[in-house]
Amino acid sequence: MAEITFSQKNPAYPLMCASFRAMHTKVELLAVGVDDEKGRDLMQRAEAEVRRLERLLSCHDDASPLSALNSLAWEQSVEAEDELYMVLELCETFRRATYGYFDVTAMCSETDGVMSLAGGYSLDAKHHSVRFCRKGVKIDLGGFAKGYALDCIKRMSQQEGITQGVINFGNSSIAALGHHPYGEWWPIGIEHRMVKSALAQEVRLADSAMSISGRSEAGEYHIIDPHTGSRVAGEELILIEGRSALVCEVLSTALYAAPRAKRADIMSQYDGYRASEIVCRRDGTTECRVVGATVVEK
Amino acid sequence: MNRKEFLADCGKKGLAGVALSLFPWLESCSEKAQQEVKGEKARIGMIGTGSRGLYHIKNLLRMPNVEMVALCDDYRPHLENAAQYYPNAKLYDDYRKLLEDKSVDGVIVTTPLYLHGRITMDALRAGKRVFCEKSMAFTLDEALDVYNCRKEMNGVLLIGQQRLFDPKYARAMQMIHEGKIGKVVGVRNYWYRNNDWRREVPSPELERRINWRLYSEYSRGLMTELACHHLQNGSWAMGMLPEKVMGSGSLLHWNKDGRDVYDAVSAIFTYPNGVNMTFESIISNKHFGMGEQILGTEGTIDLVTCMRYTDEPAPKGSGMHQLVAQIENGVMSNSVFAGTSWAAETSSLAPGIPIMDNVTISTGESTVGAEADGSIEIMEAFVHAVITGKQPEKVLEESYYATQFALLADKAMHENAILTLDEKYRVPYEPMK
Repeated sequence: MAEITFSQKNPAYPLMCASFRAMHTKVELLAVGVDDEKGRDLMQRAEAEVRRLERLLSCHDDASPLSALNSLAWEQSVEAEDELYMVLELCETFRRATYGYFDVTAMCSETDGVMSLAGGYSLDAKHHSVRFCRKGVKIDLGGFAKGYALDCIKRMSQQEGITQGVINFGNSSIAALGHHPYGEWWPIGIEHRMVKSALAQEVRLADSAMSISGRSEAGEYHIIDPHTGSRVAGEELILIEGRSALVCEVLSTALYAAPRAKRADIMSQYDGYRASEIVCRRDGTTECRVVGATVVEK
Repeated sequence: MNRKEFLADCGKKGLAGVALSLFPWLESCSEKAQQEVKGEKARIGMIGTGSRGLYHIKNLLRMPNVEMVALCDDYRPHLENAAQYYPNAKLYDDYRKLLEDKSVDGVIVTTPLYLHGRITMDALRAGKRVFCEKSMAFTLDEALDVYNCRKEMNGVLLIGQQRLFDPKYARAMQMIHEGKIGKVVGVRNYWYRNNDWRREVPSPELERRINWRLYSEYSRGLMTELACHHLQNGSWAMGMLPEKVMGSGSLLHWNKDGRDVYDAVSAIFTYPNGVNMTFESIISNKHFGMGEQILGTEGTIDLVTCMRYTDEPAPKGSGMHQLVAQIENGVMSNSVFAGTSWAAETSSLAPGIPIMDNVTISTGESTVGAEADGSIEIMEAFVHAVITGKQPEKVLEESYYATQFALLADKAMHENAILTLDEKYRVPYEPMK
C-alpha cells in the first residue's frame, strides 16, 4: 500500500507526496495542486499498474509470463501476450539501434561476440510468438521495466490533469511533469559518488526524464557487456536526459556497456536525447563530459 | 588506562571502537594490558591433553609469556602427544599431584565435562588461577558450587566461552546496543553437522573414555558441547536472562552405537520481554551449518558471517521531501538525491553490510576448534590474569548463565517440561547496557 501525505502549508501550491515499493526499489510521486480524493485514486491506480507490469515483466517470479517464456522458448515457439510481445519488439529495436549494447539477453551472452549480430531471440509477428536462438537464453527486462513503468505512470498522471510533479524510481530513473512552481525546471542533483550528499551534477528537468547507470550504490558492477558476456567495470556514471523515461533508461544501460568510442555513434540516432559521462573523483571534484562534446570541469 | 587509550590499543586487534563499558573483560586483550605483563611469565599446567587441550597448546606456543611447566592426563598417548610440544614440562597422570606443584600458577582444565567442576574447585582451593573449558560444570548445583568457590577463594576463573572475546561478536553486540537493528525481537542459533561425533578408539575398553561426549554419565551432549557457546547471545544482546526454557531432544539417527545423549535437539528460551531465543542442533544433516542471528525490528545481524541486513532501509536523502519543503517554503534550490539505482534490501538475497573488514568465518564443522573465533584472545586474557591475579569483570557471570541454561534446557528435554531457573541458582547479574 502506498504511503500518501498531503501538504497545504503553501496554500498557493498544495502538494501530494506518495511512495510505494515495487520492482525491488521505491517509487515516489510528488504532485502539485492535487486534491486528496484525486491524489489517492491516482496512487491506487499507479501502484496497481506498476504491480501488474512487475508481474508481467519479471523474470524472477516463477508465475510470470516472462518466466514461462524463458523456460520454454528454446524448445518451441511460445506465443506471447500482446503487451509482452510489444515489449520484446521494442527491446529488439533498441538492440539494433544501440549496436547490440542494449540487450535483454545479455545475461547469457556467449563470449565470442556472435550474438551481438543476431540477438538472443527471434519474433514471429504473424503468430506473436518468440523463439530463442540458442540454448540457455534468458530474457531479463531489468534494464527496461522501470523506464517503461515510469512512462506509464507519467501518462496516467497527465491524464489526471497533473501538470507539475516528479516521479522517482529508486533515484536512478526520474521523470518530471511541467516545472517547479518557483522555477522553469525541476532541479535534480546527482549525488557525488565519493562525498555523501555533495552535488556532482545538476540536471534540469522540464517535461522530461533522466536515467543514470553505473556501478550500483552497493559497489557492484551489475551491467553486462552483451558482446563479451562479462561485467562492465566502468567507474563513470552515464546520465541520459530526454523526453521518454524508457529511452533514457535503455540508453543509459547501453552507453555504460559500450566503449567510449561507440557512444557518440549510438547517441547520433536519438534526437533530443543527451548523454553525459560523469566521473566523481576521490577529492570531491567531478568531471562531466557530454558525449560528443568538449570536457567541462567542475 | 583510560578508555581512549584502550580504544587506541585495541585497534591492532580488531577491537577498535568497541566500548570497554559494554565488555570490560576485553581490557586484558588490549596491547596496553599485554605490555603490562611483558617480560613476565605465566607458569601454566594443563589438565587434560586431548584434542581440545592440543588446540589450546598450539595457540599458547605463540605466546612468549607462557611457560608450560606441567602437563597431566591419565591417558598416556594424549599426554605423550602434548609432551612433544613441551619437552621440559613435568608430566602427571593424577591432577591432584599437578595441583600440589608449586611451580604451577595457572591451570587449564580441558577434561571431559563431568570432571570440570571438581577439578576447577580443587584447583581454586589450591590457589591456582583457572581456565576451564565450557561448560562450567556437569549439573546446576555443581555450577553454583564452582561459582561460589571462585568467590570464596577470591580466585581467578575463566570459562572457555571464547565468543565473548571474539572481536567480531563484540563489534556486532555493540551495534545492537546502539540500536542499529532496532528493538531485538528474536535470537536464532543453530549448529548442524553430519557426522557421528565419534573419536577413533584404539581398543574397545577405551570407548567410554575417548567418546565421553556420547554418554550421559560424562556429558550432556549437544547442549553442553555446542549450545553452551551460543546461549550467551540473547543475554549479551538484550541485557537480561531467560525466564523460562522448553525443549525437545531425540536420539534420531546415530542410535545404533550405544550412545545415550541426544543427536537432535531443539530448545526455546523465553526472555522476560517475550523475546524467544532458539537453539537447534542436528548431527545428521549439515546443510545449514552454524548460525547465530539477532533479529531486530529494523534489521538482522548474523554473528557468524559478520553481516548486517537492513529490514527497511531508507533511500538516501529522500530528495522528494527536499522538493516538498522547497515548495512549502516558496523557494527553489537543488535537491541532491539522484544516482545509480537504490535497491531495497528486504529480500533474503540482499547483500548485507559487513560489520567489519577481514573477517575469518567459522563454519562450525570442526569438532576441535575454529580459527579466529576468540580462542586466542581468551587465552591471552587468561595468561594476563595468571600473571596479574586480576579476575576479568562480568565475564564469569555470562559463562555461568550460559552453562546453567544449557543444563536447564537439557533437563527440560528429559522431563518434557517448561522450566524456570530456580532462585537458588541466581547469582548477581549486571546487564550490559
